[in-house]
Amino acid sequence: MDEKEIKKSILSSSNDEKIIYKSRIKKFQKNHKFYIILLIFIAVLQFISIAFFTRGFLLSRHVLDNISTQNETSNPTPRFSKAVILVVDALRFDFAIPVNESNANHNLNYHNNILSMYDSFANDKDASSLLLKFIADPPTTTLQRLKGLTTGSLPTFIDAGSNFDGTVIEEDNLLKQLHLANRTVKFAGDDTWMALFHPFLSNDSFPLESLNVWDLDTVDNGVMDYFHDHLQQDKEWDVMIGHMLGIDHVGHKYGPDHFTMKEKQIQVDQFIDWILKSIDDDTLLVILGDHGMDHTGNHGGDSIDELESTLFLYSKTPNLWKLKNASNYNISDLGNDYRSVRQIDLVSSLSLLLGQPIPFNNLGWPIDEIARNDRESSQFVNLAINQLQLYKDTMQIHHANDEILEPLAKNISNTPLTGNSGKFVELGHEYQRIFLQTCEELWAKFDYYSIFTGIILLAISLVLLISITKLIPSIVVNQMVPEFVPGIIIMVLVANLCFHGIFYVYQQPTFVDQFWGTLLATAIGIIIGCYITIFDRYNFIWIAMRLGETLADYWSRIAVMFMIIHALLFTSNSFTIWEDRIVSFLLSTFGMLTLYEFVFLPKRQSTTALLTATISEKEGTTSGVNSSTANSNYLPLTRFARLLGGYHSVVLIAFTRLASTITICREEQGEYCIPTFNNQNNSAWWVLGLCFLMIFILPACITGYYNLTSSYQAAAPIWINVFLKGILGLNFVYWSLTSLENNNNATIAIPFLKNVSIFKFTLARIIAGFSLIASNVGWLMGPLCIKLNVHNTDVKSHEATILGYTNIYGSEFFLLVINVLMSILLFNKPLAQLSYFLMCNQLLSILEIIDLLKLKENIIGPIALGLLSYQHFFTTGHQATIPSVQWDIGFMLSEKITFPFTHVAIILNTFGPHILVSLSVALLTLWSQPPDVLKPQTLLGRIVSNCGILLIYNTILCLSSFIWVTHFRRHLMVWKIFCPRFIFAALSLIVTQMVVTFGTIAFASGRLIKHINDIFWK
Amino acid sequence: MSTKKRARKTVKKTVSFSDDTTLTTHQNRLKKNVDHDRPPVYVRKTPLMTLPYHLIILLYYYIFMSSDYNTVKLLGLLIPAQIGYLVLQFNKCTVYGNKIIKINLSLVLICLGVTFLLSFPAMLLTVLFGAPLMDLLWETWLLSLHFVFLAYPAVYSVFNCDFKVGLWKKYFIFIVVGGWISCVVIPLDWDRDWQNWPIPIVVGGYLGALVGYTISAYI
Repeated sequence: MDEKEIKKSILSSSNDEKIIYKSRIKKFQKNHKFYIILLIFIAVLQFISIAFFTRGFLLSRHVLDNISTQNETSNPTPRFSKAVILVVDALRFDFAIPVNESNANHNLNYHNNILSMYDSFANDKDASSLLLKFIADPPTTTLQRLKGLTTGSLPTFIDAGSNFDGTVIEEDNLLKQLHLANRTVKFAGDDTWMALFHPFLSNDSFPLESLNVWDLDTVDNGVMDYFHDHLQQDKEWDVMIGHMLGIDHVGHKYGPDHFTMKEKQIQVDQFIDWILKSIDDDTLLVILGDHGMDHTGNHGGDSIDELESTLFLYSKTPNLWKLKNASNYNISDLGNDYRSVRQIDLVSSLSLLLGQPIPFNNLGWPIDEIARNDRESSQFVNLAINQLQLYKDTMQIHHANDEILEPLAKNISNTPLTGNSGKFVELGHEYQRIFLQTCEELWAKFDYYSIFTGIILLAISLVLLISITKLIPSIVVNQMVPEFVPGIIIMVLVANLCFHGIFYVYQQPTFVDQFWGTLLATAIGIIIGCYITIFDRYNFIWIAMRLGETLADYWSRIAVMFMIIHALLFTSNSFTIWEDRIVSFLLSTFGMLTLYEFVFLPKRQSTTALLTATISEKEGTTSGVNSSTANSNYLPLTRFARLLGGYHSVVLIAFTRLASTITICREEQGEYCIPTFNNQNNSAWWVLGLCFLMIFILPACITGYYNLTSSYQAAAPIWINVFLKGILGLNFVYWSLTSLENNNNATIAIPFLKNVSIFKFTLARIIAGFSLIASNVGWLMGPLCIKLNVHNTDVKSHEATILGYTNIYGSEFFLLVINVLMSILLFNKPLAQLSYFLMCNQLLSILEIIDLLKLKENIIGPIALGLLSYQHFFTTGHQATIPSVQWDIGFMLSEKITFPFTHVAIILNTFGPHILVSLSVALLTLWSQPPDVLKPQTLLGRIVSNCGILLIYNTILCLSSFIWVTHFRRHLMVWKIFCPRFIFAALSLIVTQMVVTFGTIAFASGRLIKHINDIFWK
Repeated sequence: MSTKKRARKTVKKTVSFSDDTTLTTHQNRLKKNVDHDRPPVYVRKTPLMTLPYHLIILLYYYIFMSSDYNTVKLLGLLIPAQIGYLVLQFNKCTVYGNKIIKINLSLVLICLGVTFLLSFPAMLLTVLFGAPLMDLLWETWLLSLHFVFLAYPAVYSVFNCDFKVGLWKKYFIFIVVGGWISCVVIPLDWDRDWQNWPIPIVVGGYLGALVGYTISAYI
């Protein structure tokens, strides 16, 4: 007899068993399909509710296409025939004024480099230059700022999301007016302008790719070359616009405090200096920043640093501006008290200076200084007031403020234009201020029907999830799924029919149109379909009692407490700000509680969860497994198990604390938080050194966990020691090259590599291709981590051990997690990679703890994993704010925005921890699960139940953020804190839903369970 | 002593100080049905005797009278007060078997040293829960000193019954839970002086200890 025959005799089974097996696996496959469909329906229900809420909360502004027309009589004579507008992206105000070196905030890298504007202003004898602080309206993203700068109108929050696909601005704007007046506008620089204004720009324009933040020079050099070529020689333009991106890109790539910033600023300074000299006498020069940047170099929010930028007006003609008292232009303390104007004021000012009508939608006010005398001043005010009133009347804006506005308007029309112009200007300005305030209030209006529909649908979906995945025993759900699916499909059709019928006969409710009506009907159909099936078997009282029963044991209560605390964080802005610390605190608490459990071992063995677990496990014992293994749950923990468990708890606690030291601070955290996740640390030698060590330590750690069940066999060494180690090595090369670039000048000389960026792209694509595609295909082949150990030479005894038998499911499933981990690591910066290393250990320790404490069926498992995912969202350099999205990662695989690559990179970067956890939640069931104890359907039912808990956790967070963001809709901080958090909650629910439904349950679990049962039952 | 000892006749000297409480209760049950759930060492249910009056006074002093929440001074007051509480109140309520053991002065002193040493593990624990890693170490240490000295009577009792009885865990747990809950106020943006590290946690620990020493006998 050879080894083969021994194998055969061990693994073979009788004919009867084969028949049983076949019917079982058939049943499993059928059920598996139904489960997937059911979960997809629930996912659809949740997506619809999120869509409704988002639609109601992030309402967009209604825009009229009216255009201001030239009015011959009242239009001012143009003061300038030509204008040069230079937009320097992210030109913060303190970059452009001298900062005293003794000032505490003085910085060598970004202060005192761009002084040509201030010098011209300060040494100005004949009032020909004017430097002002320029306040942007949030969101401070370039696209929204360009809209504001050209239309003079306010942005809405939802525009921020569309920063990356600008479409032509239809509403009236400065460039449209210039175009209508047959003026030629030439443009060079950021191609966002082309997207927004291409019908109004000259064909001779020179747009350049703008969103690749790694590229610091192309756009700037393009703009400078264009200006050098066209400014003096070319006579065929009336307005020339340039948009430079260098400073902004340095900010995104390195942060402001970097020597590249100094180089870039000096370059810009020289360029400005050259323009100042080169323009002719009747040209107006406007230099402005569209927004600032925060201390990390990013922007998008509404902190002072992001809002403040610079406006500079200049011409060679003397006596252009009527400057105010010198105390208005006080540059001490980084220009804190410097006179500021709003960005929307630029449109009316430029229109008046160039002799154009003020655009129809404008809400701004001409800058005081541009009027040289009282006559001009009152003329400007008159024009501005007329435009505002026309806009108000056309838009039919009515508001409580009308009581103040109407008397004001009367007052203005009664005030004579000549004579006392000071009073006239004052009244006009007052009118504009109140009107602007009115508009701001009106446009922050919400669609309450949609909001409440969203909240109610999400709440119902939560109840559904709870009852299906937890309250109804998974065995019963197994029998029920075939009833759910047809029920839901029919009810969706019926509901759609009814809704559309009713809408057709009666009037459609105002808040839904055809499309949204269909969505609403579908959602209601899904709900009814589910509940018909549930109430066919159960009633309310039974479900409520079952809920009480489920929450009766100690660990479930702890889990519910964690969940409630996390959900209640959104009740206050301070808690939401400190969510990162609080989540770490809760996870540490979980670690401490398990440690206590292992050390003191209180008598909690007879919990309900344990009871159900053992009962169903007994049922599952169908074949030759010895009863002691199957019933091991009855036995108390051994001394060794307690020691092991204590060790894992300590690892969990220590690594949780360690990981929480990596943070990118929110601006609101202020002095209490020191950011460690910055570009300096990310390219520091010690971080890279740790990354290098990680190449060896991470595989070693995972091997350690595998060895606990002697699962480090067959496929495991290949995956862990070859694939993972190799990818980590390549990854290290990629990120050390990046940090070399950061530390030295952008062009580094590596002798055998001519073009580093091409090499980096190739490397990144190889890693991504391997980890996203090749390794997953490899996983589909079914890599088993077991080995047949024939340890006696006596062939007749037929004895052999299968190494890794007890953890056959878990070890194979975790290889898939490793695949995903490899791809996520690539798209994360070095410090975040260290955080993932810690996360991997924490994850495996939690799995071991849950297994040792016999809590596989308890809700604490998924909740602890959920907490882990949120902790690592924060420790990988993210916060629930828009500026903290790491856009630069999007350009690792391609230079331009290319559909799948950029998006995949950003999703893997931002939601990496969520994706990992959504996958590994199946491991709670599968880790340390020997193959022939549970039936395939039982196993699937438990996986679905655990996945369901994770979904419930995310749904509760999402629901809570919905409710509280609605409650705080008039709160000062709503757009800064609550709204980004609600968007994050909705997105993480969507990501978790997708990964759980399609990744964990549809793809991985089905494949794995079938594969292993094929081997051990055939 | 104001409350007279009620006669407890039947608990014999056969009680073993074993970890396994089921064993002892089982023996007790054999002998006597009424007190079958009473452990060999227990704290008498006398609310007036075990109530730590000094903690209320100290808290009042700390919150309302000390001008700038002087945590060091509070510690200086806490240690003698806790010793007094142990000697005058706590020890007199603790019943070993069926008698009350007189205070062991040398053990009181040893326990002072032990408690002091325990502040370092407590500090580690605090840091693991999220106290600042590098800075504010002095404050963190002060906090852990407060915590361990709040637990001082329990530490003494643990020593006094040779680490055998799990009765004292709840005293430690109450203090920790008090501190755990009081973390709630730290993130709030009220900009009050008392939100500074470690003032809220100290107060929380005191409240936890107050509740713990008062009601633990009943749990």
